Amino acid sequence: MKPGRNLIQKILMLEIVRAMWVVFRHMFGKGITFQYPHVKRTLPDGHRGALGLLKYDDGVERCVGCDLCEAACPSHCIKVVSEQVPDKPLVRYASEFYIDMTKCVFCGFCVEACPVNALGMTKLYEYSTENKRDLYFDKKKLYEVGETYFADAKAYLVAHRQEQADETAIQYRYKFPFTVLTGKKE
Amino acid sequence: MTTDAKQKPVEPAAEHPGVGIPVPNRALPLLRTEKLMLNMGPQHPSTHGVLKVVLDLEGERIIKATPVLGFLHRGVEKLAEDGTYHQFIPHTDRLDYVCAMYNNFAYVRAVEKLLDMKVPDRAEYLRTIVAEVQRIIGHLFWLGTQALDIGAMTVFFYTFLEREVLLDFFDSLCGARLTTSWYRIGGVENDLSPRLIEDLYKFLANFSEKLDEYNALLETNRIWLARTKNVAVISAEDAINFGLSGPTLRGSGVDYDLRKYEPYGAYDKVQWEVPVGKNGDTYDRYWIRILELKESAKIVKQCLDQLPAGPYMVEDPRVTLPQKDKVFTNLEHMIRQFKLFTQGFNTPAGEIYCGTEAHKGELGFYIVSDGSGKPYRLKIRAPSFIHMGAFDHMARGYMIADVVTIFGTYDIVMGECDR
Amino acid sequence: MGTRDAKTARLMSAGAEIELTINGEKVKATEGRSLYDVLSGMGVIIPAMCYHYTFTPFGSCGMCLVEVEGKKAPVRSCTASVQAGMVVRTETPEMKEAQKKALIKHLSTHPLDCPVCDADGHCELQDFTFQFGIGEVPNVKQKGIPEDTRSTVLDFNMNRCIVCGQCINVCKEVQLIDALTFLKKDGFTIVTAKEDKPLACEFCGDCLAVCPVGAITNKFSKYLYKPWQMKKTQTTCPYCGDGCQLQVETKDNRIVRVTSKLTWKSKWGDRAETAKGHGGICGRGRFGFQMVNSPNRLKLPLMRKDGRLVETPWLDAQDFVAERLTKIKMDHGGQAIAGLISARCTNEDIYLFQKFMRIGMGTNQVDGTARYGHLNVVAALRKAFGTDRIRMMNNAEQVTHADAIFIIGSDITETHPVFNVRVKEALRKYKAKVIVADPITTHIARLATHHLAIKTGSESRLIQGLVKIILDRGLCDETVLQKYPNAVEVLKQAAAGITIETTAEATGIPAERLAEAAEVLAKSERGVVLFEDGITKRKDGYQNVLNLVDLALVCGLFEKDGAGLNALCEENNELGLVDMGGASEFLPGGLEYQNAAARGKFSKEWREEMPDLPSVDLPQILDRARKGEIKALYIVGENPVGTLPASMGAAEALSKIELVIVQDPFLTETGRLAHVVLPATTYAEKEGSFTSMEGKVNPVRMVIEPIGESKPDWEIFSELAWRMGFPLEYGSAKEIHREIAKTIPGYFTTKPEPLTVELSGYLNNGYAKEAPSRYAVKPGHDQATGPAGYPFTLVLGQILYHSGKYSTQAEGLMKIYDKALLQIGPADAERLQLAAGDTVVLTSPADGVGAIEVGIEIQPALPAGLVFFPEHFNTPPVKDLIAAELDPVTRVIYHKRGPVAIMKGAS
Repeated sequence: MKPGRNLIQKILMLEIVRAMWVVFRHMFGKGITFQYPHVKRTLPDGHRGALGLLKYDDGVERCVGCDLCEAACPSHCIKVVSEQVPDKPLVRYASEFYIDMTKCVFCGFCVEACPVNALGMTKLYEYSTENKRDLYFDKKKLYEVGETYFADAKAYLVAHRQEQADETAIQYRYKFPFTVLTGKKE
Repeated sequence: MTTDAKQKPVEPAAEHPGVGIPVPNRALPLLRTEKLMLNMGPQHPSTHGVLKVVLDLEGERIIKATPVLGFLHRGVEKLAEDGTYHQFIPHTDRLDYVCAMYNNFAYVRAVEKLLDMKVPDRAEYLRTIVAEVQRIIGHLFWLGTQALDIGAMTVFFYTFLEREVLLDFFDSLCGARLTTSWYRIGGVENDLSPRLIEDLYKFLANFSEKLDEYNALLETNRIWLARTKNVAVISAEDAINFGLSGPTLRGSGVDYDLRKYEPYGAYDKVQWEVPVGKNGDTYDRYWIRILELKESAKIVKQCLDQLPAGPYMVEDPRVTLPQKDKVFTNLEHMIRQFKLFTQGFNTPAGEIYCGTEAHKGELGFYIVSDGSGKPYRLKIRAPSFIHMGAFDHMARGYMIADVVTIFGTYDIVMGECDR
Repeated sequence: MGTRDAKTARLMSAGAEIELTINGEKVKATEGRSLYDVLSGMGVIIPAMCYHYTFTPFGSCGMCLVEVEGKKAPVRSCTASVQAGMVVRTETPEMKEAQKKALIKHLSTHPLDCPVCDADGHCELQDFTFQFGIGEVPNVKQKGIPEDTRSTVLDFNMNRCIVCGQCINVCKEVQLIDALTFLKKDGFTIVTAKEDKPLACEFCGDCLAVCPVGAITNKFSKYLYKPWQMKKTQTTCPYCGDGCQLQVETKDNRIVRVTSKLTWKSKWGDRAETAKGHGGICGRGRFGFQMVNSPNRLKLPLMRKDGRLVETPWLDAQDFVAERLTKIKMDHGGQAIAGLISARCTNEDIYLFQKFMRIGMGTNQVDGTARYGHLNVVAALRKAFGTDRIRMMNNAEQVTHADAIFIIGSDITETHPVFNVRVKEALRKYKAKVIVADPITTHIARLATHHLAIKTGSESRLIQGLVKIILDRGLCDETVLQKYPNAVEVLKQAAAGITIETTAEATGIPAERLAEAAEVLAKSERGVVLFEDGITKRKDGYQNVLNLVDLALVCGLFEKDGAGLNALCEENNELGLVDMGGASEFLPGGLEYQNAAARGKFSKEWREEMPDLPSVDLPQILDRARKGEIKALYIVGENPVGTLPASMGAAEALSKIELVIVQDPFLTETGRLAHVVLPATTYAEKEGSFTSMEGKVNPVRMVIEPIGESKPDWEIFSELAWRMGFPLEYGSAKEIHREIAKTIPGYFTTKPEPLTVELSGYLNNGYAKEAPSRYAVKPGHDQATGPAGYPFTLVLGQILYHSGKYSTQAEGLMKIYDKALLQIGPADAERLQLAAGDTVVLTSPADGVGAIEVGIEIQPALPAGLVFFPEHFNTPPVKDLIAAELDPVTRVIYHKRGPVAIMKGAS
């Protein structure tokens, strides 16, 4: 396969002709570019996009504020502030939850870490903004993302084997202890 | 551009009495020659990032080339000391960001060596498949950019076409195209689905055809030959002495490939060859990479054929993460989940070095462990960095225009070089 | 048992030395010792979840299994005692398997609580489960017990409990409180307060500290953290003189909880280690941290504008203060400026303040909180011991090893809960005889071997009586008789008028019990006397200390090793205050200001002449202020308006002053009257040191960044000095620290040298004259009864959960105790027909107070005729009922007890 060096080839520029033929053929191939944002690419289910916080089907926040995502995060972009729900004794929740999207490396470790599957990655990637502070997602924003892209997040969890696909599969939900004072279960 | 100001020819002041400004004499009978110092980069488009080279020139000829590194230094090695072993995986994505998978592979292999851990067969095959796919991506990327640097733009479009297909394959596999973080200590994150296997087969079926196309464009192209033949020649002995590895070394005729001679993954279970060059010039290195693309395709195909069933992750309660559905129901797994994410697993105290044949060369991780859950020290032997040591040697006597060829022939990525 | 200390060896009947084989190694051990102790002493770590070196092995967890040759089943090493010729193996696979099985038993009933559990990450069960790599746990069954949240402080989640009993044992054996117990409920053993009531104990929190899982959690920090997120800083507790080391855990510049060295993780050790302190802290230290992040903290300087205090930028406030102080100094001289500083400040702050006042302002009108009582101790002991600096004669370890402890004038449980553990340890483990002389049946009095429930106010009579009994019965120490025959003779003659009968009558203690107590003290080998406020912060406090010196002398406590006389300090840095020159009569290092040579030394060091100025103390400052002679008063951390009774006229005095500067983390009663209030930081936001009552100088470390714009005290002084043109430039507290170290060589040490006591100077010069005057029985001397019509003695004192007024800013401590109630004994309550919830009206002979209505609480420990009010609370202003008196010698202000009349209130 070593390049031939004969005179004819040199004079006739055969190698150039051969290359031109390749290029010419390509002219009739199918185009592979598309007109973003009018056309968008289809992302696979496991795609690691923006993070969202999820709720159970009955609207209860899944997150119990265990801070494990914070510990798992390699870029330290998560901050969780947890406390007791004021009117429900012994129920722990995240009163504040921040993800700094400017720092996030989209590794998905937080989702992998979460012991209640409260976090999910969505296919959302268009959240660019003119104000950098908007990229500091707070709890409200994260639940907004989680609600809007719930299907994506669910698909992500399934694709990455964090949750079973069918709803009848065991769905972990932490059951908080109840206090002797009221004696009733939450 | 700077010149040596001291030797600027100056008209004797006596001829211009009363005027304080000396005027240079433009009609000197003899041209003076002098050394020229030229800063190339760090914003030069062909430096593949932010590399600066200080060139000492005699006319257009390079008499000395000094690479200046560190413009992309992020302290990755120091970052490793801050987190658990697991947490460092995403950081490795960002070393050689063109081939994140291979960095992951090299890193997890090092940690597994430290732990003395045996990975299940299926995991080994999956790792090999994905690593070789990553090698194909890396070489395609290299081919496109090298040709682009030298002036052939079309190749770039065509190689990126195939690369795109494989990146989409990664996206489906792990959720990201570049920053993959798919390898795990003790296995891999997710299995190959049947659909993805089918996709890969389909890709491989057409791949040699595509390779022929690239060859049609370059192989005998006279400009390509002129720009690569006998450019940046390095002898086998020098290459060894400079610690070169990968195609850069093999181009000089040294038959050295860790995959073959210190086999890991499933490399020893499949048939393939190590292509070796002769002249040690840029063209040979190009040709080796083309051959490696073929070999890689061969390896992937064989691995897919042989792919054994079984787990793709080690089940070691002290090291690997539990399955998520068990975390929900079993206390032991819950505790494991918490312990592993907050404290990591403890490694035996000691130090290890583990080299892996990435597509650029030998990518090595040297880990010093004090027995805790975090590396005490982690050093990365990045091939790009080592190769830069030979830059001066390989660039001397060539023209400025060849500098971009030499950058390219190493397949340099500054993310890995500066770390 | 471990016998590391020579003294312990003498005390405890050491068993015979035997030899056994452990993992093939021949080991010597004392017979009867726990096998686990011996193993852990060798460095072998065996999992154990119920073991802690502070108490007797309990053997409930079944983890510490070892193989003993000749025994079929694995042996629990903690409860097994070593025997000669034993062959023990620890690392066999069978043992690992057996331990694994024991662990699985614990796991099978443990809930999946890790996500919400506060102990997650600091959990022994987690550690071992991870270490063993258990895998699937079969037969899981959940307990489903509701969480016991009835207590104010601690929550008991019995689902998580592994029934190790550490909490119960530490409570029973270390704290001697015995508040917790096991209870069978619904088929499960749970831990609960005695009689299944809401837990209401001392809240020392030791049970919380030793709980290896998350079964006991702290309400004040609940759910706010995960252990791995916390930054731990070791610092010194700001509440009492014990100088306990706190581990303050913070998250995002907020203190989340306070722990100490005592945790389940500190379990490995020798049980003789307990003598070095169990490492725990008390409820104040553990739960009193919220004061730092309190919303009441001052964040900006306040300046008075149109009669109101308004927030002002630092620059304005500093300029104003500097300008006014300079002007006052120019116009009226240094004698128009005075300063007060609190013993809650660090040594560095106090040192710089007195330097600021003495060389910057050119005045010696600087005084501190030691004037409320501690100066009695300082003055009396300086005189007797002939030393410049006073501290406890015995360190805490010696107190633990004492064979007789005499506690007088101190409810040590309430004031020094951690030091108290030493006394308890002496009682429980070293079988010491403890004599408590207190009219109140305090907790330590109940535990004591001898409780002398003396009549209210008869402490000095008791001390004198004991001296006499010892002399009469020939129990006086031989060495003392030989060394100081004259002094003993003087004492004999001085006390001639006292007999055992008069003492018995005065104190209300039968003669034989007095004799017994005297004998215990005199015959003790390592007798330790502990005394505090009860005798120093009352009339004749100075004489009482000297009387105690006499008692200690005749008992030979100054001659024997490990024996001595020890004053406890209420505030955390009272010792430091005096050592740093925070009292008008003293320069740093305890040198007297009036001594020209000492002054010359400091003049040279500070490069500024110090003139011979009179020492003006707090009462005089107030006097001079009333007369208009003081134009500016700089108060640092002190609160005379809130502390002194109205009869001292502190508020009135302040109103006459042109410029009152108050520097405090909070807006105090005094601060409200100030012209400028400068926000200072608390202990948690500055560097420095506190001197504990033992004389240890413990480091104070910066735990969090200063709240708001508050600044460390030293920084404020330094900046003011710079503005006023006499730079006291220090870059950090460390630089002041270095200067002090230079000025007082050897001051900064956590292992102080034993206090050298040289009595000959005292006993040979003027003792013959002075002693008889003390022993002369004066009418009304014993204060047993007040003036006619005021039959009750009101005592203001400290309670366990608070320290001064500082701690009332801690939300948690206020939740535990915020009862500003008059405590009254059951006998009195019955006589006055009072029940809990009633109010009473208090009147007193003090001028212009009128009647004060206050709620009551019936306190069974109180004897008739004595009522108690916690000094921490000012509403209602019970403190005003007391007519303050000054000590003629030390000019200490006595304002903690006085006569009152009680009538049943309207409601």
